[in-house]
Amino acid sequence: MAELKVYKSTAFTYAGLLIASSIFFAPLVFVVSIALSSDQTVSTGSFSLIPTEFRWDNFVRIFQTQQPVGNFVLNSVIISVLSAVGQVFSSALVGYAFARLRARGKNITFMIVLATMMIPAQITMIPQFILFKELGWINTFLPLIIPNFFGNAYNIFLIRQFVTRLPLEMDEAAMVDGLGYFGIFRRIVLPMMTPVLIAIAIFTLTWTWGDFMGPLIYLNEDTKMPLALGVQLLTSTSQELQTPPWNLVMVGTVFLSLPMIIIYYFGQKYMYEMNLSTGSAGVK
Amino acid sequence: MKLLETNVSRRNVLAGLGATAVGIITLTACGGSNSASSSSGAKDFVMTVWGGDPDKAAYQARLDLAKAKYPDYNITLQIIPNKDYAQKVQTMISGGTGPDIMQVAEDANAYSSKNQLLPLDDYISKASLDLSATFGPVAENWKYKDKTYAVPDRAGAMILYYNKGEFEKKGLKAPTADWTWDDLLSTAKELTGDGVFGFGGTEWWPIWMSFAYQNGGQVIDASSGKPSVNTPEVVEALQFCQDLIFKHKVVPSKVDYANMGAGVGGDAAFASGKVMMNSTGFWNIGSLAKQDKITWDVAPVWRGKEKAISAFGSGLAVSRSSKNPADAFKIIQFMTSAEGQQPILQLGQDVPARQDLQKSQDFLKPSWLKGDVNMQVFPDSTPSIFKPPFIPEWNEMQKAITDAMADFWLGKSDAKTTTDDLQKRLDSIVKA
Amino acid sequence: MTTLQQKTPVPAAEPKQGAIPPKLKARPSSMRRKEARFFWLFISPWIIGFVVFLLGPMLASVYLSFTDWDSFTDPNWVGVANYVRLLTEDEVFHKSLWNTFYFAFFSVPLGMAIALWLAALLNKKMRARKIFRTLVYLPHLVPIVAVALIFQMILAPDAGPLNRVLAVFGIDGPAWLFDSEWVKPAIILLSLWQAGGATVLLLAGMKGIPQEFYEAAEIDGASSVRQFWSITFPQLTPIIFFNLIMGIIGAFQVFAQVYILTQGGPDNASQMVVPLLFSEAFRNYHMGYASAISWLLFLIVMALTVVAFVTSRKWVFYETEVKN
Repeated sequence: MAELKVYKSTAFTYAGLLIASSIFFAPLVFVVSIALSSDQTVSTGSFSLIPTEFRWDNFVRIFQTQQPVGNFVLNSVIISVLSAVGQVFSSALVGYAFARLRARGKNITFMIVLATMMIPAQITMIPQFILFKELGWINTFLPLIIPNFFGNAYNIFLIRQFVTRLPLEMDEAAMVDGLGYFGIFRRIVLPMMTPVLIAIAIFTLTWTWGDFMGPLIYLNEDTKMPLALGVQLLTSTSQELQTPPWNLVMVGTVFLSLPMIIIYYFGQKYMYEMNLSTGSAGVK
Repeated sequence: MKLLETNVSRRNVLAGLGATAVGIITLTACGGSNSASSSSGAKDFVMTVWGGDPDKAAYQARLDLAKAKYPDYNITLQIIPNKDYAQKVQTMISGGTGPDIMQVAEDANAYSSKNQLLPLDDYISKASLDLSATFGPVAENWKYKDKTYAVPDRAGAMILYYNKGEFEKKGLKAPTADWTWDDLLSTAKELTGDGVFGFGGTEWWPIWMSFAYQNGGQVIDASSGKPSVNTPEVVEALQFCQDLIFKHKVVPSKVDYANMGAGVGGDAAFASGKVMMNSTGFWNIGSLAKQDKITWDVAPVWRGKEKAISAFGSGLAVSRSSKNPADAFKIIQFMTSAEGQQPILQLGQDVPARQDLQKSQDFLKPSWLKGDVNMQVFPDSTPSIFKPPFIPEWNEMQKAITDAMADFWLGKSDAKTTTDDLQKRLDSIVKA
Repeated sequence: MTTLQQKTPVPAAEPKQGAIPPKLKARPSSMRRKEARFFWLFISPWIIGFVVFLLGPMLASVYLSFTDWDSFTDPNWVGVANYVRLLTEDEVFHKSLWNTFYFAFFSVPLGMAIALWLAALLNKKMRARKIFRTLVYLPHLVPIVAVALIFQMILAPDAGPLNRVLAVFGIDGPAWLFDSEWVKPAIILLSLWQAGGATVLLLAGMKGIPQEFYEAAEIDGASSVRQFWSITFPQLTPIIFFNLIMGIIGAFQVFAQVYILTQGGPDNASQMVVPLLFSEAFRNYHMGYASAISWLLFLIVMALTVVAFVTSRKWVFYETEVKN
């Protein structure tokens, strides 16, 4: 009896998961189907859900349009990698201090850090735009990268939580050996932080890779645009009523999505751990 | 200017602190174009245009010619998607990185009224250009308060594409400039059936506005400058446009279009033989020339009580943010010369604004166009072109039109109700 | 480095703030001053970033919100005129506010419910679990720009796959993005597609629930549904709570979907606060007015956060009270 019940509930679980995951997965199949369609299919709009044509050359042709798609990809890589580097180092330093060093006013400062998480970024959008304009940073990557070198509340919080849980013995031993705070940070704590730093790098990479509004505001030239903005350029036509090259646009979305999937595949272990320790999803 | 001062001090703080990081990133991130200004005598220009791949190719070809003539000018072309153009250019201007040269169209006065474009009259007279003689009526398009803000560059009348094969099969006569609304409707009815529609669409403003102006109506009254969209003339024209879709069913509705496939509009439906007549601009010739599914030709747009035809054109303007306006004008002068406009027709991008080029054999019998297409339609239509209200509030007006007419084009409200609502919205937008 | 292998402890057992062992506390005051100096040195990047990129801009933004400013000429002090106009006159703003609330209050709880349901299914021991988990999570990894472009195709009336599927069940799908009544549900649908993102962490949370709870319930003969509501759900409330707040804050900042898919149309039926703010600032040069919008957005987000925190005492189950 009990076995039958288990069997039945497992069947239900499988059925539920099968349906749910096919719903979640279907749009991605559709993307691939469009991406592999011929121009003829695009002009008539008669796409099928399951790929029937296999125009792999679309993946080459996307680099032969008037849009600098190669640049888009390269720009995305530069912006997101440098942003991740900035976040990792600045947040590590700050998070470590909050976890291990004592000072008067620390708790209140930490409260402020946490509070800034709730502030919508739009509130600073206009003054920041003016600031970067005065600095002459418009149409460069700087407004997108530099703010990442000053830590981010969420990442600082993650690191503080992580470091608080690390054992203190090593620090103490190092202190006895005469290693300063910076030495302890660099030699002892930083290596132990690797999992959380990887998680932060992944979060930042993912976020900057997909960021649309920042590049939209700050970048003018197409050769400087990241893929998230550039892929939208692919939908541009001479006149509003013309059909965009949907097959190439979808190739673009594949390029935009695939690296995120790959990064997730290799980094999921770290992301799980971090999610686990804070109870938050990678906030998009 | 309090704000700016605080920013300056912030700059110092930042500069000191982030110097290393900034240095590294500047090196990796934006080498290249920023260093261009170093070579002596060279001047940098930014030119913004909108459009797709063919447009970028044509503008770049023309800029390459300009570069050959003026080797000291470095001109960067920035192409922006249609629907983002106004927003992007405005953002660039407020970010202090506005273009030197910008393509402008119906919304040009949004810029000129805000003092963002440079009046070109002095340059024009110094270069002794005669815009009216060179470009015809479109020379008037970019005048605002008696000053000229742009030189016409592209200008093509809206034309009527028709499925020649189907017309011949059904024994129908080709459309002419003297077709009335009734001729259009009756022919469209003949062509409709089996999931095929006689006519492509009326929802797009250049089309319904043509109907309205053909009927003696005006969206903005030319003499008073006030909205006049709920006049009987406009209401009648719009009702006819809507009836074509929902009463006579000779024009696909939004849903019908969506049924044809994702992202399909009139141009694509015509190319795939689902729509038998379609009025649109020059650009479709290029893509139609590449297909062999249908045989087709072009004809002039029908008439109403009056002749009135929309046109698609754009001009080139000098932005006030340009550091070298005189040189920017020199570039425009070249771009709008016969030599500078040549790539427009060679690459089949559009109709050049120059009348001499429109009448040249290069335009009428282009090498890239196989088969016989009645290109003469373009110069022939030019006298009937009407000028839509190029008011400073053009973009807001377009938004109001789209908003107020959303239900109308779904067949949920009639022309009278819709235009009354629209009139109210326009009254609050347009300052006469 | 052997320390790399250091295993992180289970999350729920959050250690108390300031877990500094007593031994270290007995250091002389010069040491403490040095420590404090290093503390401030170490957190200086954050302080600078806070002042330059947040506090300064926020103060500037407050000031701007009381001005009429086109970003070229000097700001014009107009007092509370911007706020008055926003709250009493601007119908587009009211509409966009309503739309944003509508979006947030459907997409966030619904998304959480879907994620919970999926997590509950995935928490069972079975084959191919990893594949299912990946399939469900994948959409979350697709950048929102790509999602918007994808759904532009999926939501196409009739010819789009969604309506074709609905047609199989005899449902005549709406025109989605073209229909003012369906455009908001369409955008919600788009965000629900990414709901699988939260399953990962709910699953992680579920793993942290002591197995004994379930064993005890099993002995009592509680059904699996019963077990879910009386054990799993209460244990997960802190995670759910945190994500609801973050989700709502995120939902109020929705931008790219609207910008790419609808530009706020038809007739502002999908206009939301941030796209409106964006176009006021960067398209119409109403920098002061846009700043006022951003402050109203801020107040709403704050109010919602406070409400969430206050009410959470009633329903959030904390194993150990976390006090920061």
